[in-house]
Amino acid sequence: MAAGTARYPAAMPIRLLLAAAVLALAAWGLWRLLGGYAAGVGPGRVLSRRERAFVDAASEAMFPPGGAIPPSGHEARVTDYVDRYVERVPGGIRLLMRLLFLLVEQATLAFPAPGRGGRRRFSALSVEQRMAALEGWRTSRLFPRRLVFMSLRAILCMGYLADPAVLRHLGVAPYEIAPVVLEPDLLYPPVGQPRSAIRWTRADLTPASDGTPIPLDAPLHPDYRPGPA
Amino acid sequence: MSVTARPGEGEVLVFADYTDDFREDADVVVVGSGPTGAVVAYELAASGKRVVLLEEGPPFTPEDFVLEGGLSMTRTLREGGLRATRGYVVPTMQAICLGGGSLVNSAICPRAPAFALDAWCTNFELARTTRKDLDPHYDAVGEFLGIAPTPDDVQGPRNLLFRDGCRALGYSSEPIPRNVRGCRGSGECFTGCRSRAKQSMDVSYVPAAIRAGARVLTSARVERVEVSGARAQAVTGRVVAPFTGKPGPRFRVTAREVVLAAGCVATPVILMKSGNLANRSGQVGRNLQFHPGVAITGVFPERTHPQFGATQGYQSLQFIEEGFKLETLWAPPAVLAVRTPGFGHEFKRRLSEAPFSATWDAIGSCHRSLGHVAPRRRSMDPVLHYRLDEQDVMILQRALHVLAEIFFAAGATKIQPGVHGLPEEMRSLSEADVLRSKPMRPTDLIVGGNHVFCTTRMHGDPKQGVVDEDGKCHDLENLWIADTGIFPRCSSVNPMFTGMALAHRQAGAIAERLP
Repeated sequence: MAAGTARYPAAMPIRLLLAAAVLALAAWGLWRLLGGYAAGVGPGRVLSRRERAFVDAASEAMFPPGGAIPPSGHEARVTDYVDRYVERVPGGIRLLMRLLFLLVEQATLAFPAPGRGGRRRFSALSVEQRMAALEGWRTSRLFPRRLVFMSLRAILCMGYLADPAVLRHLGVAPYEIAPVVLEPDLLYPPVGQPRSAIRWTRADLTPASDGTPIPLDAPLHPDYRPGPA
Repeated sequence: MSVTARPGEGEVLVFADYTDDFREDADVVVVGSGPTGAVVAYELAASGKRVVLLEEGPPFTPEDFVLEGGLSMTRTLREGGLRATRGYVVPTMQAICLGGGSLVNSAICPRAPAFALDAWCTNFELARTTRKDLDPHYDAVGEFLGIAPTPDDVQGPRNLLFRDGCRALGYSSEPIPRNVRGCRGSGECFTGCRSRAKQSMDVSYVPAAIRAGARVLTSARVERVEVSGARAQAVTGRVVAPFTGKPGPRFRVTAREVVLAAGCVATPVILMKSGNLANRSGQVGRNLQFHPGVAITGVFPERTHPQFGATQGYQSLQFIEEGFKLETLWAPPAVLAVRTPGFGHEFKRRLSEAPFSATWDAIGSCHRSLGHVAPRRRSMDPVLHYRLDEQDVMILQRALHVLAEIFFAAGATKIQPGVHGLPEEMRSLSEADVLRSKPMRPTDLIVGGNHVFCTTRMHGDPKQGVVDEDGKCHDLENLWIADTGIFPRCSSVNPMFTGMALAHRQAGAIAERLP
């Protein structure tokens, strides 16, 4: 008892120091996770302000301004697309996607980008550093790291290649196709609507497609034509 | 509410029609409106049986089609189109809509080669499943759907270049037979055919079944099969909202014969959730096989106008007995871009070559590579495990090299093989030699999980298979399975037509039991 009492005062500062260190680490961790994000990026439908900042930073590294296709990831509004996409996938997949964003955002701690401040969050890195970080994921010898890159790129690609200006530039925007109304179309309402919403009657029936090839210079679908965004 | 289906009173119910729990009674309940379930439902309704066809997904009209690939996938495919296996990660797509996979596939309808069906018979103790046995059923389905080779005028350059490359090398090639009437070459099979040319089940067999008296209940997810003794009594489940899956009223459908055609992934989950039903053999959910697919994109000096042309218009069966089939391929650009190497300006440069490019793929008969399906807790979604066997990797490697040969024979200036550890672009066949010479691991390849098979396989021996040659479960008197899960081994070619031929035969067997 006496010996224990004697040790007690000496142990106090160590415990205090440890507690202070843990607190400081927790505060730093919280700041890294939550703090310091620019206020200019607002929250989306599903994604938080921080997640949108990450997606925007990643899309700008994946599709930088200029080059062979004019719009950048930012100009192609990839972040808005990803927000809509995440909203529409089932809950389990949504969670995995958000974890993917968090992983790449924070993994610079373990896999720092080259240059000064390379351990900062992915979205806080310069464009060059972000590209170097992505290259590390892409060319890793570890398959899981490559898989992370492929998954992230696939998600961003869906957004980039949904942009009408990008598709027009690539010559792969959808054609306009005149509606065909056949007998089966009298059976089904649009998804989620009652059968009373079936808009076609027998009077609306059209001839079936005769197999005439679509001309290569056919007009584009109205949603993909040039015009004000 | 209780409804008894009667012949001649066909209709389709949609989500908005269900307000309360309900019951139905029929001679036959068919679970799943994909290619196989739709055939069974139509054939039995046409023979005067009272049929209820249940489908978890909604019907899609052309107004519902989303032209953009990513968002389209979230609407028509399970798990938003992002379902993948564990173990070796392979993405695999299963549809959730009236018509099942036929709404979003490329309508490819080859008959299974005789050698593949002979191997089924020899290895799985089957006596009546040779090509000669199935040909009458192929004929009947083919006539109904107008299955015919893709005409040249809707092939477009990216398909015809494949033909030219094969010809230059002396390899056989042929226009792909498809269930299409009046294709205009819009290349939109994946997001839904706006021309209504593709004879997907929602515009072919399902309306015919309704005309013949079948009741089609969409947004109805079957969760259990109820059994009494050795007989299935009913299926039960919940109405689910389109896209969100939010559960609604409960239902119960009693029937004299129960047919599960929910697909190779969903059917074993239903059986396992129903108390490990029909599984005395221990084979339910096992033997999962795919046709793993690899692809190469090639760039040509002239424009290929890839947006125009049949989605998949040409194929080569030259190497089918070596274990792979070659096809042309088109999909929404975002889907194809998964295999394009790089990022940043380099990636943009490669994407910008799209107007000059073509993508061709190979699917492997990889029956050494196996996996299994298990149910998730508190969910009807599956957990899929899969391993790609090293010998099968060699088949895919060989297929990649043959594709490279065809590209350069057709005049490509470079190819992108998409293999980790190899040059991202190759500009000559000698450069591409590394595709066959370098030892590869499964993880070096970008592989898609095309087609799914064997999770409730047919086998003449009840101890080794789940169903008999007609698709009836060995363990139960009146429970049938009618999807590609009953294939005892992968079919070497796209399975839809073979699945429908088997379903056509099965419908005859069921009808015989229902005087």
